[in-house]
Amino acid sequence: MFPKPDKPTEDVKPEVPSTPVTPAVCNTMNGTMPSCAPLSVPYVPFQQKGSPRYEVAEALDNGTLFPGLNLPFFRKANAAQVPATPLAELQALEFVLTELGLYLDTHQDDAEAMELFRQYAALEKAGRERYEAQYGPVTQNATAQHKTWAWIKDPWPWNYQEGGKA
Amino acid sequence: MFQYEKKLQYPVRIKTPNPQLASVIISQYGGPDGELGASLRYLSQRFAMPYPELKALLTDIGTEELGHLEMVGTLVHQLTRNIKPEDIAGTPFAAYFVDHTAGVYPQFASGFPNSAATLQSTGDVIADLTEDLAAEQKARLTYDNILRLSDDPDVNDVIRFLREREIVHFQRFGEAIALAKEKMNQKNIYFTNPAFDK
Repeated sequence: MFPKPDKPTEDVKPEVPSTPVTPAVCNTMNGTMPSCAPLSVPYVPFQQKGSPRYEVAEALDNGTLFPGLNLPFFRKANAAQVPATPLAELQALEFVLTELGLYLDTHQDDAEAMELFRQYAALEKAGRERYEAQYGPVTQNATAQHKTWAWIKDPWPWNYQEGGKA
Repeated sequence: MFQYEKKLQYPVRIKTPNPQLASVIISQYGGPDGELGASLRYLSQRFAMPYPELKALLTDIGTEELGHLEMVGTLVHQLTRNIKPEDIAGTPFAAYFVDHTAGVYPQFASGFPNSAATLQSTGDVIADLTEDLAAEQKARLTYDNILRLSDDPDVNDVIRFLREREIVHFQRFGEAIALAKEKMNQKNIYFTNPAFDK
């Protein structure tokens, strides 16, 4: 784990760094650690490849795609649920992409996660087009698909009125 | 560059205004461990980061924090929506109100204005990433304290989402230190600062 470069005789640092390649030997709530490691530096266990994942809506609701990282505060009961709205569906797809993106930043050689990112990106693209056709543009560029300058229309994201309608 | 997406990262739909709660939640907007400081910290630190995947990580987490700043601002805005002077007089929100009405201003819960003195960009790989681990913990505990003070389920739903993001970010910054260490002097990672000593 955290291996030294494969070719210790070369002085050059590796161009493409590799994340630690280890079999998933630890359970879901645990990551891998080096057996020996330099003193006086902080260590956080590495999340293993192939970690279990939530479904899309469940990931948004929990604030993470990964059950192993879901560490809630004890005061959890008195919280509302994510509303079942078209916007929340789009937010859930985009959240999974955000979460996978951070994971891939530190696990760039995880091919399964990369493939998952591709699949969710395709779903998000289709979902975004459906959402924008019905509710208006999410980006200024997307306003080109509309007949008028719909970009400026209320509600803006921070607007929510009593009684439920955004 | 940045382009705006006209939506929040997570739904914020507060049914019941509560200015007193807004006056503590404002700390995660502009407070000592709030989202403004978080985004500025990571988006500033990335310029000195020599390793490409960690430039990406600081950019991506810094960008997500800007989305969290917007969510916290939205919480404060919705908690102070349509309030009347009689809802405010004699409450802890009055001190905020007299300066800012129902505007959203980046300050600590104590009223101290947002300060870059609460964050660092040291130009040192290990020092910056270690600061980032602590920053995520401090933001997490602030959300814990907000959950201790709030009994509004609409607010708590949003706060527990933001709190969980701090835990995920902590994990990624921990992995970032391991990735940085692999590329540094294997016998003594403090032998040089690879961001400066070429």
